[in-house]
Amino acid sequence: MSKRILRVNMTKLEAKFEDLPADFVALGGRALTSTIVAKEVDPLCHPLGANNKLVFAPGLVTGTKAPTSGRLSVGGKSPLTGGIKEANVGTNFAQKLGRMRIAAVVVEGMHKGDDYYLLKIKNDGTEFMKANKWSNKGLYDTYKELYKEFGNKVGICGVGIAAEISGAASGVCFNDPEGLPSRYAGRGGLGAVMASKGLKFIIVDETGAPGVEILNEEAFNMGVKKLWNALTTHDVTKPGGALNSFGTSVLVNIINEAGGLPQRNFSSGQDDRSEKVSGEVKADEIKKRGGVRPHFCSPGCVIQCSEVWTKPGGKDPMGVLEYESLWALGPNCGIYNLDDIGELNRACNDLGLDTIEAGGMMGVAMEGGLAEFGDGKKALKLIEEIKNKTPTGRILANGTAFTAQALGVTRVPVVKGQSLPAYDPRAIKGIGVTYATTPQGADHTAGYAIATEIMGVGGTADPKDPKKAELSRNLQVATAAIDATGYCLFIAFAILDIPEGLEGVVDTLNGVLGTSLTVDDVPGYGMQIINTEREFNKAAGFTDKHDRLPEFFLKEKLAPHNEVFNVTDEELDKVWGA
Amino acid sequence: MTILVKIFGDLRKKIEGSKISGSLPLNLHIESDEIETIADVLNKYAIEKEETSHLFVNGSYSGFNKKLKDGDRVGLFPKNMSLLYKWYFTRNEDG
Repeated sequence: MSKRILRVNMTKLEAKFEDLPADFVALGGRALTSTIVAKEVDPLCHPLGANNKLVFAPGLVTGTKAPTSGRLSVGGKSPLTGGIKEANVGTNFAQKLGRMRIAAVVVEGMHKGDDYYLLKIKNDGTEFMKANKWSNKGLYDTYKELYKEFGNKVGICGVGIAAEISGAASGVCFNDPEGLPSRYAGRGGLGAVMASKGLKFIIVDETGAPGVEILNEEAFNMGVKKLWNALTTHDVTKPGGALNSFGTSVLVNIINEAGGLPQRNFSSGQDDRSEKVSGEVKADEIKKRGGVRPHFCSPGCVIQCSEVWTKPGGKDPMGVLEYESLWALGPNCGIYNLDDIGELNRACNDLGLDTIEAGGMMGVAMEGGLAEFGDGKKALKLIEEIKNKTPTGRILANGTAFTAQALGVTRVPVVKGQSLPAYDPRAIKGIGVTYATTPQGADHTAGYAIATEIMGVGGTADPKDPKKAELSRNLQVATAAIDATGYCLFIAFAILDIPEGLEGVVDTLNGVLGTSLTVDDVPGYGMQIINTEREFNKAAGFTDKHDRLPEFFLKEKLAPHNEVFNVTDEELDKVWGA
Repeated sequence: MTILVKIFGDLRKKIEGSKISGSLPLNLHIESDEIETIADVLNKYAIEKEETSHLFVNGSYSGFNKKLKDGDRVGLFPKNMSLLYKWYFTRNEDG
């Protein structure tokens, strides 16, 4: 069996397998979602109309035994940004698709009428079922019921109430290993795209799946070994390393100490109350409560940065409480209480909200007077407005920019309509260049911490130095390539220090594809993805004037450094040579 | 000279007689005329350079030779909290 695309027509309620076109064979993950969206979606279509498509694609090595490779890309035209979107998630749902040799699921058209559907994908066929009984319900209860009905070995993708009301802050939810609805392809409102088509859930049952085809076993096995060695010996990624011990929230104290942890809707870069919600405190608390840490988001991960946060006494497991979520719903709202933050994160997961967008939204809602900064209980009540589908809830469900406009708030931390993550660009300029120039809208993962050596940048960089175009470009290009492989971005920490690790990644790709790629091919591959995305955005109406940060970052000084974002427009335009 | 030294994570165990409160950092107010650089602070507590990762002085990512002045805030992170900075930023050294 060769690799295939599952084309799901929601207008006709039909799903058909097609062979993967020959020129798509080397594309996976973000490379495949962005290529299909660019090829098949009119950039001027309404993102919630029949002409948008939602594309799911596991990475090239996803589903194999390659370590830390359980990633899935979800793509479409974003109702939040109006541009192309790739949202990325780690889940065994991705690995199941990979082993069924499904390179992509393309959901198109739109069901007319009010019914919601569930699509069950098996190795040899598909089935549509009505899903109305799970509409208007929280995803925690719903996922429990779905596992009861379909067995505990399936993978589940779903959208929540926030998506049902077309909220541009809604994400696409996936199961974690415990079956909790806590892993999200969160960003860009793709949940609303799925719901707009009448599709509420996708269930994947991999029984009888042939497994990922590996054309050169020898190269593949050699690559797995090299990468595994790199990941298990590197200080950041090895067992007992920073990510494994504390999760991504290890960054709370580090970024606060660096003066770049945005507080109270980006009005300060440091507040020592953040120490009460650090990764160390959280890891300690999880241990005391009987939660789980470390933990993997998908089987086969060596790094295991994930966890299961619970209420006091180990009750009501919530899932992972990531750095970005914890910050967005915590310090960004002046909330320095882990239980309040945990319950806000649970509410987001339950309703199908992107936690970063929800936290950004809550920050502007607080500035706009809907709650006091620091009032976690009131914040939770505001999230409940979304559950109750009230007019206020419908505003909040559309994210940071929409809420700010409704409330007359002018400090609006968004780029291309998408809210900024947990690093203030006035303190850390390089990430600000990425926020401004990525085709995705403000996104830390689009150019995070990737092998500077690969690209010959050579770890330059004073965080306050405004010359960052080359650094950001190289990071963005390398990231796009990693997002196509199905490896988690965090392997970058190891492969940038250990050259054999990077070789291992390329070896595994050669193993799966039967190619003879080298490390030098990586940048060209990544650049192709970015070019495809930028062309889509250009046709959708974006110009270099959209590659900018909001005005307040250029005017308001951020404590404690008392710096503004002083990267010139000329420097920003140098990123893509516009 | 008075400086605030914030000691994070496992490095707190190196400070004899200190009260560690849960997982919060240890805040030490040091008055000394013998401290000139971060390396001097590490020496004072017998912390080896290899045991550290991120070092900050007033929010700036710093190296061992970074000179200190009255009123500075110093942040010291242990090796097992090493994450982002090593790749993103060069250390600010005065030496």
